[in-house]
Amino acid sequence: MPVFTRRGVFAIGTGSLAAAALGQPVYSAVPVATVEPPKHPIEKDAVLRVSRPTKFIAPDETIWNENTEKFTKATGVKVRVDYVGWEDLRPQTAVTANTGAGPDIVCGWADDPQLYATKLLDMTELAEYLGKKYGGWKFQAKLFGRKWKSDDWIAIPIGGGIGPCNYRTSWVREAGYNSIPTDLDHFLDLCRKLKKNGHPPGFALGNAVGDANGYANWLLWTHGAYIVEEDGKVALNRRETIEALKYAKAMQETMVPGTLSWLDPSNNKAFLSGDIGLTQNGVSIYFVAKNDPKTQAIAEDMDHAPMPTGLAKSPPEAPLILNGMVFRHTKYPNAAKEYLRFMLEADQYEPWLNACLGYWGHQLKAYDEAAVWSGDPKVRIFRHSGDREFWTGYKGPISAASGAAAANYVTVHMFASVASGQSSPEDAAQEGERQAKRYYKT
Amino acid sequence: MTDAAASTLDGVSEPEGKTLLSWESRSRRLVTVYLPLICFLIVLLFPFYWMAITAFKPDAELLDYKNNNPFFIQHATFENIRKLLFDTEYPRWLLTTMGVAIGSTFLSLFASVLAAYAIQRLRFRGSTYVGLAIYLAYLVPPSILFIPLATMVFQLGLFDTPAALILTYPTFLIPFCTWLLIGYFKSIPYELEECALIDGATRLQILRRITLPLAVPGLISAGIFAFTLSWNEFIYALAFIQSSEKKTVPVAILTELVTGDVYQWGALMAGSLLGSLPVAIFYSFFVEYYVSSLTGAVKE
Repeated sequence: MPVFTRRGVFAIGTGSLAAAALGQPVYSAVPVATVEPPKHPIEKDAVLRVSRPTKFIAPDETIWNENTEKFTKATGVKVRVDYVGWEDLRPQTAVTANTGAGPDIVCGWADDPQLYATKLLDMTELAEYLGKKYGGWKFQAKLFGRKWKSDDWIAIPIGGGIGPCNYRTSWVREAGYNSIPTDLDHFLDLCRKLKKNGHPPGFALGNAVGDANGYANWLLWTHGAYIVEEDGKVALNRRETIEALKYAKAMQETMVPGTLSWLDPSNNKAFLSGDIGLTQNGVSIYFVAKNDPKTQAIAEDMDHAPMPTGLAKSPPEAPLILNGMVFRHTKYPNAAKEYLRFMLEADQYEPWLNACLGYWGHQLKAYDEAAVWSGDPKVRIFRHSGDREFWTGYKGPISAASGAAAANYVTVHMFASVASGQSSPEDAAQEGERQAKRYYKT
Repeated sequence: MTDAAASTLDGVSEPEGKTLLSWESRSRRLVTVYLPLICFLIVLLFPFYWMAITAFKPDAELLDYKNNNPFFIQHATFENIRKLLFDTEYPRWLLTTMGVAIGSTFLSLFASVLAAYAIQRLRFRGSTYVGLAIYLAYLVPPSILFIPLATMVFQLGLFDTPAALILTYPTFLIPFCTWLLIGYFKSIPYELEECALIDGATRLQILRRITLPLAVPGLISAGIFAFTLSWNEFIYALAFIQSSEKKTVPVAILTELVTGDVYQWGALMAGSLLGSLPVAIFYSFFVEYYVSSLTGAVKE
């Protein structure tokens, strides 16, 4: 039975965040158990190469680099970290996996470990150690870090991001609501009133990787619909999907014009320019608003809330998970595992998590107590990214098919065709099912 | 009736004194020539204009189109340029891109000249099919080729080096340049080479002393195309280069200036603007050769 200790509960809040961002030591409230780390004797003259997504905000990269330097100082292992564009990480990971060349560690996107499972080192020992030490792994971590339907860990989940409802509190109040309703009828009513008051909502339905898939997934799951059954059988052409499509049509009538062609940055721009009063997004809108003197008033007036759950039992959002994968081609497997362990230990991970200000949420339960979540109340919602119980391709397996269906915007196009008036809900559901079957072939 | 008399009768003449044909009138020319030309120019130049003004706009103006006319700059700023040049490794990316583009262009031109000359002039058995096969290679999309090419690049020990790009870009540059040059060589009178052959020149001498000097506009045209395609290439540069400092401009600006769903449009456009300048300068030097290669070639 692990023994939990508290290393102090001090200096939590803005001051501690600033200190964390500057790399100053901060007392932590993260409960840590005493667990013996796995033995990974580092290979002689080991050097490592790491690829990870480019920074959200400057401290993300700064603290990551500082932690890497600390690792080099402690172990003598030289580590080179390459920062890759978000959209570019997937093809680079594919090249790395297929050629057996490139970085030893890739901190890659959600379903990559499942796609390249045979090319990755087993991480079970390390994952179990971290789980025991930091109160266990969250739902999303277990889903994406372990090989599908097994207890074998093939990646170490590092972080996750969600896209809750972003809204202007004063405009929502003006529409007669004190908070974002949890049921669909009231949510639609709120959107209609926002439009009537000149502050319409805006949800992307163009080819926006994050925002449009997020909105389409929410529409589906909140109505009890889903793209595939648990066994991967396509299940789009159902009554629930048709209900979701009808709701999407009604929602579209409340929105600012142009959302059918919106890409990921579009709702950020529309929200920051005051064109919309409500949208679905990560913390980026808030962060940008807060850091520009000209938009600080928007930051003060805005807040985040879960999107309405509707028929779902928990907020229907699929987080974007960041997984640390060690490829079999590495010459220094122990050094690579040690690097990931070092980065996930509280002394390194918590300052990094705090500095990310909600852009990344943790996947180990103990970090619920990290200072960032007791600081600014507007980012507290991002603490739960690992607890969400939905994923891309829900309810089916995480596979190449689920990734391809999302990458080809199957559900987004289905909703867009109804929202634009090109198809009836029934026709769109039928076509959506046909399109989904192109990817889910079993 | 003479043309001059006709134009006087219609009351139309060019301001410079040039006479118009009888069926022409100023309004007809406006509709058939100038209006399409203006539309064409707007469509062609507007993206560059948009890129240029965005590069010099502050963020507040980019966000707020209600209070700022989107087509003009209200308060110009050099902040985006400063950020690009001093907060990123842009100058280094530019140098890498330049080196890769020049290297792959020369390599491709060299191979293409030999291939095009052989196919067009030596007319060996099956030369037509070889020409066709080279062209078919151009039709294979890079998105299919990049993984097998990555394996080769890795086995050659060139992964994550600019040499990987210099050697892989010719896979799409050579077919393109070869076909362009086949067309150009076809326009050079064969009699010139026959005379040289009678005088005892070898094939290589003919190529070096007769064909190539006459084919300069064609070479420049192929060179410009190859340079531009290399300069703008994305997928190989993304797949084969992983170190930040060795990236080319199109890949690097996206990595550095797009953070999640936040696009730093000002700096991105500044990067695109500065990145397109070398190509524009390159074009401006050789535009006459370029036009002549596409329009006329060598007169017999």
